[in-house]
Amino acid sequence: MDIQNHHIVKSYDAELQRLMSEIADMGDVALTQVEHSLLALEGRDATLARQVIDGDDAIDTREREVSHEVLRLLALRQPSARDLREVMAALRIASDIERIADHAVGVARLSLAMPAGEGGFPENLHALGLLTCDIVHEVLRAWRATDAALAHAVWQRDDDLDRTHAVLFHDLLARMRQTPDDAAWCTHLMFVAKNLERIGDHATNIAENVWFVVEGESGLS
Amino acid sequence: MIDSLPSAIDLPPWLQAVAARAGERVLPKLAVRGLDFHYGDAHALKRIDLDIPEKQVTAIIGPSGCGKSTLLRVFNRIYAIYQGLRAEGEVLLDGENILDARYSLNRLRGQVGMVFQKPVPFPMTIFENVAWGIRHHEKLSKAGMSGRVEQALRRAALWDEVKDKLKRSALSLSGGQQQRLCIARAIALAPEVLLLDEPTSALDPIATAKIEQLIEELKGDYTLVIVTHNMQQAARVSDRTAFMYLGEMVECDATEKIFTSPAKKQTEDYITGRFG
Repeated sequence: MDIQNHHIVKSYDAELQRLMSEIADMGDVALTQVEHSLLALEGRDATLARQVIDGDDAIDTREREVSHEVLRLLALRQPSARDLREVMAALRIASDIERIADHAVGVARLSLAMPAGEGGFPENLHALGLLTCDIVHEVLRAWRATDAALAHAVWQRDDDLDRTHAVLFHDLLARMRQTPDDAAWCTHLMFVAKNLERIGDHATNIAENVWFVVEGESGLS
Repeated sequence: MIDSLPSAIDLPPWLQAVAARAGERVLPKLAVRGLDFHYGDAHALKRIDLDIPEKQVTAIIGPSGCGKSTLLRVFNRIYAIYQGLRAEGEVLLDGENILDARYSLNRLRGQVGMVFQKPVPFPMTIFENVAWGIRHHEKLSKAGMSGRVEQALRRAALWDEVKDKLKRSALSLSGGQQQRLCIARAIALAPEVLLLDEPTSALDPIATAKIEQLIEELKGDYTLVIVTHNMQQAARVSDRTAFMYLGEMVECDATEKIFTSPAKKQTEDYITGRFG
């Protein structure tokens, strides 16, 4: 009797693989939404911002499809051990990705609502945006490769993101004190930054789920 | 507290944790130590170590030929009726080695009951099926015997279905009823350990569910060991699961751990259907 890496029932392998790919693809779409929302904000591009807002329905639909597929796999295949952890993680990660896309929509809406032609774009908000996108990109790479070490590294980078967010927050507060006329503009940017910080939190959730799949334990430290 | 335990029985870490929590000594009901079993030249069980906790359900799973039924049969020395079979090592029941030739088979069979894959009612009445074994161990009055039979049938969740036809042949019962009758027959002798060898593989899903419910009810009073090919059944009914492969004990742990995050790759490959 040989021990193999695939299931005896090959269609089960195909179904699990399809679910894993669906999550990764959904993550790519959400990451593009985040990138586009930031481009729309920096370039004050209302058309792109509306595209991001309109694109959210497609992500919601994908999340429902993943939920349905997970339900079907649980009912018909009764997965166990790593298969079960993968299916559980897929369900949780789909929810995190959907929330990431919601925050992209949040940024896009803020870019439409921002007062026109004021203030310029702060350098550390740009840095926060880049860091957020990179973290999401890396955690999706960890999921595709089921790479626990990479997931752990991404998880640790959330501290950098929180620090960058805190610095930006204080800079914007200082600016409001110095130039009260910029208060509306700064407040909008604070909300943008909060959306990015929350995206980072969802990315760490995804990292924890990749860890759970590989190591069989919840939580990272 | 743990230091005072006999050195022959080294507690695994999970049992030590239970002992520490409970603040009292916890010994396995059955402790298998370095067990080898041979069918003539065939080495069927290789250095098996296993603890079976009291009043819990332990499931033994593994592919055909892995030795799980052989191990179960060692627990009541049923192999002793055949020539050329030999067991070496120790199987401690409450600390006493049941493989020792001085351990009386009669005593062992009273302590360890067994239910087989195919229900095998005796060709006699339902009542007599249960009473027959009791008569070999105890002298009871007619009323006393009736009480014991009723108690065993109630315990096996069969009483309500057969109370009006106790004088009918046991062979008139359905397969699921026959299997519960066999369980009633086993528990009528008040065993401490009940061995179940594929007890539902010949039954339909409803009869299977009734047996599984019965297993859940019985574990409060008995130590149960079940051999099953149905992994979902092991997951549903057992507290601990042991995985065997090619005569070796690969892994034994809490059932939840085995089915969500087993430690050994062989276990993982087997329970996820990756054995080819």
